Amino acid sequence: MLIELKDIYKIYREGEESEVRALDGVSLTIDRGEFVAIVGASGSGKSTLMNVLGCLDIPTYGEYRLDGAEITTRTDAQLAQIRNRQIGFIFQGYNLIPELTALENVALPLAYQGMHMQQRNETAMEALEKVGMALRAQSHPSELSGGQQQRIAIARAIAAHPSMIMADEPTGALDSKTGKQVLEMLQQLYREGTTVILITHDLSIAATVPRVIRISDGKILSDEMQEVDWL
Amino acid sequence: MTVMQSFRMALKSISAKKMRSFLTMLGIIIGVASVVILVSVIQAQNKKSLEYLESQGTNKLTVSAYRWTGGDISRDLYDYCLGLSDLVVGVTPEVHLYNDGLSVKYGTHTVSATAEDWRKSGQFILGSDQYGLCNNYKLSAGRDLTRMDIDNYQNVCVLGGGVAETLFNLVNPVGKSVTILGTPYTVVGVYQKKNVDNWPELDNLILLPYSLNRTLGNNQTISEYSVKAVSASAADVAAIRIQGYLSALIPESSGYSHVQNNNQSMDSMDEMLMAQSLVLGGIAGISLLVGGIGIMNIMLVTVTERTREIGIRKAIGASRRSIILQFLIEASVICAIGGIIGILLGFLGTLIAAKLLLKMLFLPGEGITIGAFAFSVVLGIIFGLYPAIKASGLQPVEALRAE
Ligand SMILES: Nc1ncnc2c1ncn2[C@@H]1O[C@H](COP(=O)(O)OP(=O)(O)O)[C@@H](O)[C@H]1O
Ligand SMILES: [Mg+2]
Repeated sequence: MLIELKDIYKIYREGEESEVRALDGVSLTIDRGEFVAIVGASGSGKSTLMNVLGCLDIPTYGEYRLDGAEITTRTDAQLAQIRNRQIGFIFQGYNLIPELTALENVALPLAYQGMHMQQRNETAMEALEKVGMALRAQSHPSELSGGQQQRIAIARAIAAHPSMIMADEPTGALDSKTGKQVLEMLQQLYREGTTVILITHDLSIAATVPRVIRISDGKILSDEMQEVDWL
Repeated sequence: MTVMQSFRMALKSISAKKMRSFLTMLGIIIGVASVVILVSVIQAQNKKSLEYLESQGTNKLTVSAYRWTGGDISRDLYDYCLGLSDLVVGVTPEVHLYNDGLSVKYGTHTVSATAEDWRKSGQFILGSDQYGLCNNYKLSAGRDLTRMDIDNYQNVCVLGGGVAETLFNLVNPVGKSVTILGTPYTVVGVYQKKNVDNWPELDNLILLPYSLNRTLGNNQTISEYSVKAVSASAADVAAIRIQGYLSALIPESSGYSHVQNNNQSMDSMDEMLMAQSLVLGGIAGISLLVGGIGIMNIMLVTVTERTREIGIRKAIGASRRSIILQFLIEASVICAIGGIIGILLGFLGTLIAAKLLLKMLFLPGEGITIGAFAFSVVLGIIFGLYPAIKASGLQPVEALRAE
């Protein structure tokens, strides 16, 4: 069992008139090597769930075990290390650092591991090759199209060979053709054994994922396995 | 993330916003430059004063004494000092002449009191037969003034080595006649050059018998004297005796008298230097502090602007420590660059100020240079700390949400 959530709540302005329960008692387990889609309408709590799963956010209540170890009691430095080594993030808005080149962006998580310059650049180049962006290694994000930027972001997510990839609406800002390429990359990662958690509000995308968890108003509506054509 | 990588990152962010970085540095640049210049100019001033005191030799007393009514005490002081013969070896009045058009001529050569090149301007001084002894001049040719010269109002003079070279070049000046204000004077002696770097005027001395004060000095009241003691302890005793004598001779109601022991002036020079450096350096240090607050202000703005970047960095694994290090290094690098520019400006400013104010070539010492640089880096760390901690405390989700 890789991920184990038990009665997770994320409550904003708790006790006030305007209280928001972004996560309202979520329990779920995800095994190593699974490909999971989390779907729901806008505002249903998908991103909040991903942020909790990705150790970017601390739930208000509940237990979260990652790899069998409780997360909610970890220190800031321990969480930083988990994000650095075990999880790769892909965001809708790419979230590249504009002042850095593609290569430097991809190498950044490796730098935070303390990896040395040469090894770091080699590893980052491998990741860029994998997403087909090796030729644009020295470009800055502003010189790249949205699809290219997202591929750089994917390279950054996989550069440290994390066991989990979390993608929050990775195709949301892309046209359908480039969106499809991004999905194919996630499928490839899944085939290689990486646990992939994909967040989307697009049902046609959800239809291509083996396991689909639907959420609404911070609660899980359903959690089903399905046959997919590409496997 | 190693410190080296953080450095490269800091340089990158700084060069990405050159204008802002420069404006941020400006406070540090001005602060460091003014600390360096002020402290250096004081050091230069003191070095020069010390050189002067040293050129006068040890155990010298400087006496100021005059009556409001103008009665000359030269004779009284001379006679009193004769009575102190076991303590005092010499006494002389010192009258500096500043008459219009004052110059000394020999053939086609002239040394003027107001030469365009100050290094070449003549110092016309009225003194006694013991002037050279009191002021540490040694004869290279001829003789000193004598009591006879003084008593008989002889038109004779002794030349400093510099003047002698200018007027006579290789000719021996002794016995030659020079012209001062249209009157011929016989050169009776020449002093060896002292060659004190910042006091070339010491070698441009034209020493005349003080009795000529009647004509050359328009009979002004003589008020400055030098007394040479046999030893340091004798100087201490003589200073007290002479002060006592003068105080009795010139009651406070009728004039003024003061005896200054140059040995003590030399001793107190270091303390004075320290005190002045601290005061002026402190004032300039306040401007550095203001510069530091400017750094903090800009760093806080930078943190706010870069909230999203901080969020991204945290999401991909930056610890609080890495973020603090990044912003601290950035602040320190800004301050260090500002410090280096400030030191360069400080060198330039010191060079110019010492030239204009003190007519000397002087560069800041390594102490003040290293001190100013270290202080600016420390300022960067101190004033960068709060913004850096603030940046590191941002929650990744919150930071990522920022636009
Ligand atoms: N920092 C916050 N403060 C208050 N409410 C928030 C905050 N973050 C998210 N929410 C609310 O929580 C709910 C779930 O948000 P989110 O997880 O972003 O939804 P989704 O990603 O499914 O669109 C929304 O109603 C949103 O307004
Ligand atoms: Mg969302």
